[in-house]
Amino acid sequence: MRNRVSVYAIGSLLLGVLLLNGCATTPVQPWERGRLARWDMRWDSDPLQAAMDSHTHFSKEGSDGHIGAAGGGCGCN
Amino acid sequence: MAPRHTLSPSLAALMSAAAVLAPDAHAHAQAVSGESDSRVSYRYNEYGEDAFAGAAIGSPDRYRVYSQQFQLDTHIGGRGALDVTATHEVMSGSSPWYVLPGADNRPIQVLSGATIREHRNEVRAAYTLDPGTSASTTFNASYSQERDYHATALGVEHSFPLNSALTLGVGGSFSHDLIAPTDAVLYDRVRHEEKDTVSAFGSLAWVIDKSSVVQTGVQFNVENGYLSDPYKLVSVGDAILADARPGSRTEAAWLLRYRRAFTSADAALHLDYRYAQDSWGVAANTLDVGWYQSLPGGWQLIPAARYYSQRQARFYAPFFVDSSAQRFFSSDYRLGTFGAFSASMNLRKRIAHWELSAGIERYHAATDYALDGADSAVPGVLSYTRAFVGLDYLFE
Repeated sequence: MRNRVSVYAIGSLLLGVLLLNGCATTPVQPWERGRLARWDMRWDSDPLQAAMDSHTHFSKEGSDGHIGAAGGGCGCN
Repeated sequence: MAPRHTLSPSLAALMSAAAVLAPDAHAHAQAVSGESDSRVSYRYNEYGEDAFAGAAIGSPDRYRVYSQQFQLDTHIGGRGALDVTATHEVMSGSSPWYVLPGADNRPIQVLSGATIREHRNEVRAAYTLDPGTSASTTFNASYSQERDYHATALGVEHSFPLNSALTLGVGGSFSHDLIAPTDAVLYDRVRHEEKDTVSAFGSLAWVIDKSSVVQTGVQFNVENGYLSDPYKLVSVGDAILADARPGSRTEAAWLLRYRRAFTSADAALHLDYRYAQDSWGVAANTLDVGWYQSLPGGWQLIPAARYYSQRQARFYAPFFVDSSAQRFFSSDYRLGTFGAFSASMNLRKRIAHWELSAGIERYHAATDYALDGADSAVPGVLSYTRAFVGLDYLFE
């Protein structure tokens, strides 16, 4: 039960911050998106490192929160 | 931020405007920052778990893993991009085997021998059509091979723009795993087993303003087949039995990712949250925070922190007093209730066509860190230190 409450609390907080941020803005024109295009704004800025992070956590934790294609299953202990 | 191609503001604006049909925030990455060039990457990783500190039988020296990754990311023809990654790992050390009840029912962890030494090889390939646009399609294939485990996976992902600010992504994948444990006759393990995993996922990315983007996504995984760990045992009453889990598992996960640029500080904030829940009763929260700080001279400093918490599977216990109450048993620490904190620091330096990188992570798990508090003892929870060095070459 506490777990569920914490999920709602964290999710609501993040969504609230994002929606408040978004509501205050106007549509972004293509020529205004230069900063968004930089390497450090990517979802996975270092794909190799992200793959190793995901593999390590998948091997040592009980839940795979990964979003995306499956692959690289292992008999890891 | 490493110095990429430096464009005048007017040229950058012109190139951005030309990409108006690609409204995804990152669709402009290649046009504006010059990151469309081919790249060859290498990483060397070392992973070491802390020695077991509690009451134990067997070698306390736990796992060490040495990994090498090679990646080629290059364009093919006018519309395609190929990403091939190869990984080789060498693993050794002992791992939690089963748990015995000690005095006052205090758990005593039994660890496998420290002589385990295994290798894993993995190859992944991804071909993307129209990369760098918000209407791209990616085909994935991967194969992972160990002496006792083979996994083959295929997947496809497609993204398309809904309007100038929203991009929808959908995808699916299928994985088929073969399990053939070593010393099966000696330890009375299963001989040959299989496991199938089907995944479907979707995401929605939103350009909030000129310095922030958000993405939310969901994923569903359905696993069928042999889902137990053939190397783990469990103490049930007076008997030591094989780890026994249900033959199917359904998992749903929700992801929220936020990126915000701080232009004056020349930095970017990464904020990721994930919630996952499965049909075994495992529920997990993960929060990742990263700060990408660009420094003069082509340096980048990336401190990050992660918090993870999971609730245990319904059939987990360190040991079972009575076998009549249930069909499934597991004392695998990865199915227990625990939480974990980790902190990392990565450093990157761009020198002409080369990019050097290095990083270190410290991870510490404990039952007391769980959001719900500890349900039952999880003596096998671990702490580890992981470090890497890398070298990339960019063809420009």
